[in-house]
Amino acid sequence: MAAPRKAREGEVFESVYSVIALVFVLVACVELVDGVAVVDVYRLIQYDLAGVPFGSRLASLNHHAGSSLFAPGTDLSRTVVMIPVREVNITFIREYVVQRQPLGGLIFLLPRMFSPENKDSMGGGDDFDKDLMKNILVELEQLLVHANIPYPVYFAFEDDNINAVLVDVKRNDATGQPATATTGGYKLVVSAPEPRKLASPTVTNIQGWLPGLKADGDSTQLPTIAIVASYDTFGAAPALSVGSDSNGSGVVVLLELARLFSLLYSNPKTRGRYNLLFGLTSGGPYNYNGTHKWLSSFDQRLRESIDYAICLNSIGSWDNELWIHVSKPPENAYIKQIFEGFSNVAEELGFKVGLKHKKINISNSRVAWEHEQFSRLRVTAATLSELSVAPELLESTGGLVDNRHILNEAAVIRSVKLVAESLARHIYGYQGKNVNIFADNSSLTVNPSYIASLLNLLSRTPRVAPFLSKNDPLIMALKKELGDHTIDVNLQHEALDGMFTFYDSTKAWLSIYQVASVTFDLLLLLVLGSYLIMLFSFLVITTRGLDDLISLFRRPPSRKVKAA
Amino acid sequence: MCLDLSLPERERGERERERERRMTVFHFFNCAILTFGPHAVYYSATPLSEYDTLGTSIKAALVYLGTTLVKLVCLATFLQVSENDTFNPYQELLKAVIGFIDVAGLYFALTQLTHRNISQNHKFQAVGLGWAFADSVLHRLAPLWVGARGLEFTWDYILQGLEANANLVFSISLAALGSLMWLRKNKPKALIPIIYACAGIVATMPSITSYLRRGLGWHFSKVVGFELFTSLVTAFISWQLFATCQRPST
Repeated sequence: MAAPRKAREGEVFESVYSVIALVFVLVACVELVDGVAVVDVYRLIQYDLAGVPFGSRLASLNHHAGSSLFAPGTDLSRTVVMIPVREVNITFIREYVVQRQPLGGLIFLLPRMFSPENKDSMGGGDDFDKDLMKNILVELEQLLVHANIPYPVYFAFEDDNINAVLVDVKRNDATGQPATATTGGYKLVVSAPEPRKLASPTVTNIQGWLPGLKADGDSTQLPTIAIVASYDTFGAAPALSVGSDSNGSGVVVLLELARLFSLLYSNPKTRGRYNLLFGLTSGGPYNYNGTHKWLSSFDQRLRESIDYAICLNSIGSWDNELWIHVSKPPENAYIKQIFEGFSNVAEELGFKVGLKHKKINISNSRVAWEHEQFSRLRVTAATLSELSVAPELLESTGGLVDNRHILNEAAVIRSVKLVAESLARHIYGYQGKNVNIFADNSSLTVNPSYIASLLNLLSRTPRVAPFLSKNDPLIMALKKELGDHTIDVNLQHEALDGMFTFYDSTKAWLSIYQVASVTFDLLLLLVLGSYLIMLFSFLVITTRGLDDLISLFRRPPSRKVKAA
Repeated sequence: MCLDLSLPERERGERERERERRMTVFHFFNCAILTFGPHAVYYSATPLSEYDTLGTSIKAALVYLGTTLVKLVCLATFLQVSENDTFNPYQELLKAVIGFIDVAGLYFALTQLTHRNISQNHKFQAVGLGWAFADSVLHRLAPLWVGARGLEFTWDYILQGLEANANLVFSISLAALGSLMWLRKNKPKALIPIIYACAGIVATMPSITSYLRRGLGWHFSKVVGFELFTSLVTAFISWQLFATCQRPST
């Protein structure tokens, strides 16, 4: 008799616990229903160059939304202005930023097609419009990156939520009523910790070595040809800087070249009498700092054995002209030889290669092309690029516009063919001869799907060097990829040039709250008050009679009317 | 965070945030009036206050709390928590059956509790009022406190307040029908089935609204509108029934 009762008691206890748990679950569910829109936003980069601050200096945000920089009577220092990029007027923004006028915050809305996750093509919409927008974005990016902005600046992608909010905000602004606590509207909140300096950012260089064929009994060092590309990027929004063209295209061409030459070098009969050195360098946007440190770490003998180096920079979106940039004068015999080799192959492939000469100024620390780092250490080098003019500091380093869609895969393939053929003719001594080593449908044909998959991977991975740790998955992946095609793969970790200091906090969540105004609540109070008074009167009349109601007001009321 | 701002700017920011906090408490206050005001108004407007039936209401509220606890235990024991929010007829049927425990609780409150000498007329009103007040406090106070003070404005809490009003009318109607069923001995024979039918409908009202919400996917505002409408209809019907049954004894 006692045992079943004890069992029942145990069951009751269990059900009580489950009841308490249920109550907690209900309360938790109630809390989660909030109706707030949350959007991914990406912060403008914040960095110091030689102690001078640049970029957006704040991260957290808690102000009302506005839609224009020119609303009269608004206190813009308490407003976050949301501007779609297609409506940006560069001159206004430039004036605003340069004159350091106060603002609560700035959010730029980018069209969906610039999102790295956007798989569809940019088709639909005018080509002219797209070009115009790209130009605006490039200008805007340059403006923001070189300005010191004391309020938070964020980038977000347009989606239905944000578009609806923007339409509402514009409508409110149009009625001339600026949004504050008393007039309702939207509140934008980003709660992010204060940005901190990144302690000791590193640049990681990845090198791969393909040794050439040494004849028996030959003790002299084989000459080396170096193929180099920098893989890191820099842009206004470091979380979005995927740099598909600058310099994802260079990295992909380098890896494909490594694959092709590893095929050739795997068989001693076809191994050339040149060593091949492949270098994926970091620190490109910062005056090719990584390349300099990589070269400085070389053995003197190795450096002297380098016949020449080809640097690849932005070769993914050209149509029919490439440029070879050199720092030695074009009359130099080596340069002539290299250029003629490339030029002949280009002619056969149906496009043009031009030669551009830019002297190095040793006293100027600015290094515009990667080959200049080689030239400063007296190694012959040239840069192959679609850019005809040397970019300025932090220009053309993979920004907001540089994503998968501006790439021309055929151009990348042609670049591979150009460099591979030219190098092979030099290595195997076929200069001037009409021979097609990497012909289509041969075993050495360029592999378009390999190129496409690498381009896709790089177009999804932001690669700003200070934010890449020593063991970042990207670096490991590149190391593995290069290691598959070369004999010896090494990583070199160096500290980034002390001139640059970076700050963290590149991604955040923006919460958009819809706030009601005080007038709304006052109105509601009025309505509720009158409702309760009506209810009171109705009940008094129906239960006690009209006379009672009137008498309630005739003499001093013993009980006050219970209204709000 | 705002190290770069000058002192007057920082003060302005703090003042603005203070204003916002006061504003959202204001909204909470509004919704609280809507949710709990009618109960107070009902008590003071009708003769309930004159006959000091507060004790009855409080006892009814306590009975409601006990009933809810029993219901929760049954729900926890018998109900399976489903992953998604779809409408499962078997579960809903079970919930409806458990909902009838409410009726049992009301029966207990009307018949078993010892009340002071108050007329039947006022007894059911006091019990219904206490019942509805406890229901509002238990189900609506916590969400209101947590949610209405938040930054984001939604209509949900105002709709919840309207629902509380409808629930008040339902509770009083159910108490009226209950008192007719269990306390009044001489009822006209013809009306008995109608009384029981009405009581049944009112008792299953929670299941009906839950079906509308989840099964048919009605928006909350539509559901609240439906509740208000049906509450007025049932109030009218139960008033008529009560008045008809009142006539022979008077």
